[in-house]
Amino acid sequence: MRYKFLIAAILIAGGISSCKKESRYKYEVQEQVLYQSSAQKNTAKTPTQFISIAYNDLFNAAITTNELNTLSVDLQACGDKNMMEDLIIKNLLAKANQQIPDNNTMREDIPAFVTQTYVRFYNRQPTEFEAWKMQQLIQQNTDITPQMIYYAVMTSEEYKYY
Amino acid sequence: MKRKTFIKSAALTAAGSMVVPYILPSGRLFAATGSRKANHVVFCLFAGGVRNIESMQKADGNLMTNTLNGNESISSDISGAMTSLPQLASTRLQNQGTLYQQFSYANGPTGHFNGHTTALTGKYTDTNIQIQQPPQYPTIFEYYRKHNSPTMSALNAWWICDQLGPYPYLNYSLYDGYGPNYGANMLQPGTIFSGPSYAELGSPLSFSSSQQSKCDLIKTTMNGQFKAPTGVSAATGIQNTPEDQAHLQTFINTLMSNAAAGTYYNTWGVNMDNDMYNILFGIQVLQEFKPELMVINMTGIDIGHFNFTQYVDSIRKADYALYKLWEAIQSTPGMAGDTVLIVAPEHGRNQQPNSEIDTYGRYGLDHTNDNMSREIFCLIVGPSGVVKQGQVFTGPMGESVDIVPTIGNILGFDGNMPLGMLDGTNLSEAFV
Repeated sequence: MRYKFLIAAILIAGGISSCKKESRYKYEVQEQVLYQSSAQKNTAKTPTQFISIAYNDLFNAAITTNELNTLSVDLQACGDKNMMEDLIIKNLLAKANQQIPDNNTMREDIPAFVTQTYVRFYNRQPTEFEAWKMQQLIQQNTDITPQMIYYAVMTSEEYKYY
Repeated sequence: MKRKTFIKSAALTAAGSMVVPYILPSGRLFAATGSRKANHVVFCLFAGGVRNIESMQKADGNLMTNTLNGNESISSDISGAMTSLPQLASTRLQNQGTLYQQFSYANGPTGHFNGHTTALTGKYTDTNIQIQQPPQYPTIFEYYRKHNSPTMSALNAWWICDQLGPYPYLNYSLYDGYGPNYGANMLQPGTIFSGPSYAELGSPLSFSSSQQSKCDLIKTTMNGQFKAPTGVSAATGIQNTPEDQAHLQTFINTLMSNAAAGTYYNTWGVNMDNDMYNILFGIQVLQEFKPELMVINMTGIDIGHFNFTQYVDSIRKADYALYKLWEAIQSTPGMAGDTVLIVAPEHGRNQQPNSEIDTYGRYGLDHTNDNMSREIFCLIVGPSGVVKQGQVFTGPMGESVDIVPTIGNILGFDGNMPLGMLDGTNLSEAFV
């Protein structure tokens, strides 16, 4: 176990050292390099950014104008924005063609899955503690699926900021 | 028992009987800080700009036959354009309460958002009002949620709005010490329960309770590692508790499924307009949550700028919808017999018409601050032991800004509100 943890830590450290070279495009947000830490996020996503980024993160494609407009006004039409964002994410996760690894793939290489998830959604590597904690959660709870983790990440506090 | 001990315990018991919360007949735990007249208030903004010439003075006939007494027929030149609406009320609403025939929207621009803001904040506005942000002064929802004792959850306060634009901003204010933490749940049904939304929001992923718990565990772990940037907050709107949020989401999913299946399509069988649908969905909210305070509006009457005849028909439809709302209140356990309904337009319309002429040769009506655009009506309906029945004030009496303090008085928290915040006073003459 300690050995596995050490390997994971090395992999993560390697990821951090190379993170500045990667870049990703997000709608209405300037091209981003990977963050060194979550503390670098200092801007709240607008409702439009939240929806378009979520779509992009899940489908690796830009949301259509019609879809974006519909979801943006839906978000405006309800007082509890957290609840509506949650509902939007649940609907995006139920759509076809999303790029989510299956459960077996996740469990074959949990450290890699955790790292990829943080990079994909948070635009940063997980800290050592985060990586360890998330791996532990996945290992100890065999009913946790990639879809559940994506849902949790996309409805978390950090996902509201960039 | 020693005499001293007996006196002490008797005194404690007596004191306890005065401060211990008690259960009201409605089942609500209520630690009284002010006596309530009723446990529920529904305020219907009969909005869109209604001129008293058409409503109270009945210049084109009685357009509000479920609200007002009288059977004056509709003017013959436009009667053929009216939607067929069956008479609902056997006892018209004015007989079940107190009617102010010359209520006043006394100050501020006679704009829809100004009128709405005044009705919901109890403060007159001016031309500096910002239409893309919450009001400057606290709304009735915030007064209720901050000053009612005990504090009630956000599911007890609802703002059901007929349109987007600035209206969704009215569920809480920017006022220091109030704001979203005390705001109301807001819903704009016409947007959420519509065709495009069914495709985007109608098929959510569902988790079992066990899966949801695991998701929450993961999320809690992640949230524990993140510190939101200082001075920057995501636009979360009002916040329900996690349990209430789950309840709300289930409710919206159910309505979405029903709406997509056509359950609500023209339910009343009267060629329903947007106002009617807004009331229909407001009724769903009312029946599900039995809120202590709900404000709901209608706006279709504003067609009066361009089409007088449709404006007249819209007033009739709004009257029909209003009575449907009252029927729903009276058939909802917990609200029946324990609800006060307040009805008022946000403002009136000009005495002089504009140049827009409809196919029946009638001219349109704007609302640009003349005296007639400030004259409105107000109706307060409720149980006979609470609201004076069949009382009519025909002369000028009462203002828009009086509605907020009146709601505070009905729900018994007006005494807890800070002094000097409001422009108006309680409409006490309407109550027993």
